[in-house]
Amino acid sequence: MRTARRISQVFFLLSFLWLVWRTTYPYDSLIPADLFLRASALVAVTTILTSRSLVPQVLLGLLVLALTVPLGRAFCGWVCPLGTTLEVVRKVSSSKRKAPRKTPSTRWRWGKFAILVGILVSAVLGTQLLWPFDPVVLLTRTASVALYPLFTAAVSGLLGLVARVPFLEGAAYRGYALLYSAWFPLKQPPFHLVELFFVLLVLILALEKASRRFWCRNLCPLGALLGFFSQFRVLHREVDENCSACGLCKARCRMNAVEDDYVTTSAVECIACGECVSVCAPRATHYALRKPVRSGTVDLDRRRFIGATVAGVATVGLLGVGFVDRGRRASVIRPPGALPEADFLDRCIRCQECVKVCSSTGGCLQPSLWESGLVGLWTPVARPREGYCEYNCNLCGQVCPTGAIHRLPLEVKQLTKIGLAFFDKSRCIPWYRGEDCLVCEEHCPVPDKAIRFDEHTVRRPDGSEALVKLPYVVEELCIGCGICVTKCPVVGQGGIFLTSANEQRWPGSESLSQ
Amino acid sequence: MSAFVRRGDVVLVKPNMAWDRLPEHAANTDPEVVAEIVRLCMEAGARKVKVLDRTCNEARRCYLRSGIQKAAEKEGAEVPFVLEQRFVKMSIPEGEELKSWLFYRDAMEADVLINVPVLKSHSVSGLTIGLKNLMGILGGDRGQLHHRFDKKIVDINTVVRPQLTLLDATRVLLRNGPQGGNLRDVQQMDTVVAGVDRVAVDAYGALLFGRDPAQLGFLVEAQRRGLGTLDVKRLRVEKVTLSA
Repeated sequence: MRTARRISQVFFLLSFLWLVWRTTYPYDSLIPADLFLRASALVAVTTILTSRSLVPQVLLGLLVLALTVPLGRAFCGWVCPLGTTLEVVRKVSSSKRKAPRKTPSTRWRWGKFAILVGILVSAVLGTQLLWPFDPVVLLTRTASVALYPLFTAAVSGLLGLVARVPFLEGAAYRGYALLYSAWFPLKQPPFHLVELFFVLLVLILALEKASRRFWCRNLCPLGALLGFFSQFRVLHREVDENCSACGLCKARCRMNAVEDDYVTTSAVECIACGECVSVCAPRATHYALRKPVRSGTVDLDRRRFIGATVAGVATVGLLGVGFVDRGRRASVIRPPGALPEADFLDRCIRCQECVKVCSSTGGCLQPSLWESGLVGLWTPVARPREGYCEYNCNLCGQVCPTGAIHRLPLEVKQLTKIGLAFFDKSRCIPWYRGEDCLVCEEHCPVPDKAIRFDEHTVRRPDGSEALVKLPYVVEELCIGCGICVTKCPVVGQGGIFLTSANEQRWPGSESLSQ
Repeated sequence: MSAFVRRGDVVLVKPNMAWDRLPEHAANTDPEVVAEIVRLCMEAGARKVKVLDRTCNEARRCYLRSGIQKAAEKEGAEVPFVLEQRFVKMSIPEGEELKSWLFYRDAMEADVLINVPVLKSHSVSGLTIGLKNLMGILGGDRGQLHHRFDKKIVDINTVVRPQLTLLDATRVLLRNGPQGGNLRDVQQMDTVVAGVDRVAVDAYGALLFGRDPAQLGFLVEAQRRGLGTLDVKRLRVEKVTLSA
């Protein structure tokens, strides 16, 4: 059983990492890149509660939840990529000399239930707060925008070193060519906040040092949700009369689910990993199907339940009255197909799938910091000076696991306005210096050109006169893709900028007709 | 082609594939034209034919959707992506505006450079033809070249000297260049202009387009600096009509 579980864990972790890697242009949606996120029961439940609708994307998560009722928290033991990561890190980092294991404390088990209650209460009130805590989400986020760029930088750096060796240069460049043809980004843009994402993951991994699977036992709200639904499980650990009471099962149980009698098992905490079966010398332990009888406790007393509820309500209230000034609000450019702002914030789980896929084409999306207030932390915003929304791309909507970004057909996306460009005439070269430039006009992807120009005789700063092509924006045509902002050759803040004026959210209030 | 390519040469073919557009949009060089040039080079005994461009949109999109990557590879060319670390800073001794710039190593080291521009309208230069197509082997922030463009593009062309220029006017983008997107801005001309005098080829292209070469600043500048002649009437032009 242990071997089967390990194979399953490695398979799912590798699949997870492979999908993170495959979240890129060219995108082949045979296996959706957001599969694991959709399989998170917490994402499913929270999304449905928050949006008060049955979002089709997340039905897989409900299926996982339904399977949990008979099978228990097998997801945590066999599938969860963060759980596996924790165990791999533990294996790699622990010294060979086995210290005498002391059984971890059960004191903090309530923590995960409190976090879960807080998340669910907020969801019922219409605010989604799962994004900092869901294990699949936080691992996807860190893998996509922190680990992946580190990995590409390491590989490129290594090849760069190899390329310096005279007789290996050709080989190094063949290596580059091979990588780029196989989904390696040609230019990996650096992401905002990667250090923070990285540190947060390291902290969770470091908790392993405190005790094994500390996160899963004490903090993980997905584990709490699955545990809650495991109370009446049919698949259960059983111990027969051959038990020699050696206590190895209890010592080895990573979830601390085995009671002091070595027989009773917490249905809520047990993740069916089979470790106890494999270490049982007299072969007295096995898993069997039996009539559903409630066993194990959900460690959340009334006092803490009320506390968690109050905390959830208070957080929702505080986020609701958070202040974002008009100027900052107008600088928030959302991906094409984004829901109206309030719905978008509640639907977006900050997994960075869209940010990752965008970085492989135009590269405008970045995790936000305070641009849309604390409530919008880590949501995707366009930073047009860094990258632009690629005219022929609609991948962000295709990889969004919750429908925060609507899947727009390409011909609709090409007409969807996400913002509007304005010239800053004090910085635009033709306007302030009286010299031709028009890089913005050249790059404007709208077939009829949303940037056009008039020729005027202007007086230059040195007093001479010249015939200059002066650019202007055609407001009706501009879709706010921002390539003009990205490509503007002015140093620093460009001669053209974007605001969210004219943005069309989805479902669009007006039809997108040409 | 054997007049330009000797056995064992490394040839660099520089089409325009800067944009994430389809062949029928006429924003990039026609893939069939590129493939044919690759085939001729291979026939002439080239050791290696490379086809590349530093694109404006994301490179993989441009290489794929222009159709050039597939067509050229089919004829045996290498179609590598341009790597930022392979640009070298070179001085431009005859430069009037630019004294140095970043050039792509593969283009400077190739035995033969064949420039294969496409004929398009362009807001800054009026037209974009051969002289401007060589911007695709430049590194750095090319947006800086847009002001005082005529002088700068000629500066670049004093360093990069293609042995052969083949102007693709199969389809011509009449308006909203250089990337277009509307099929109604495209005119089918089914013409290819070849020449060793790149200024003359560009001038001929301008005439095809219905423009007076003497009105195009970069051509006047190029002639003044001795890169070639824009007086097409004085040249021997051979017209070959192919039946489809």
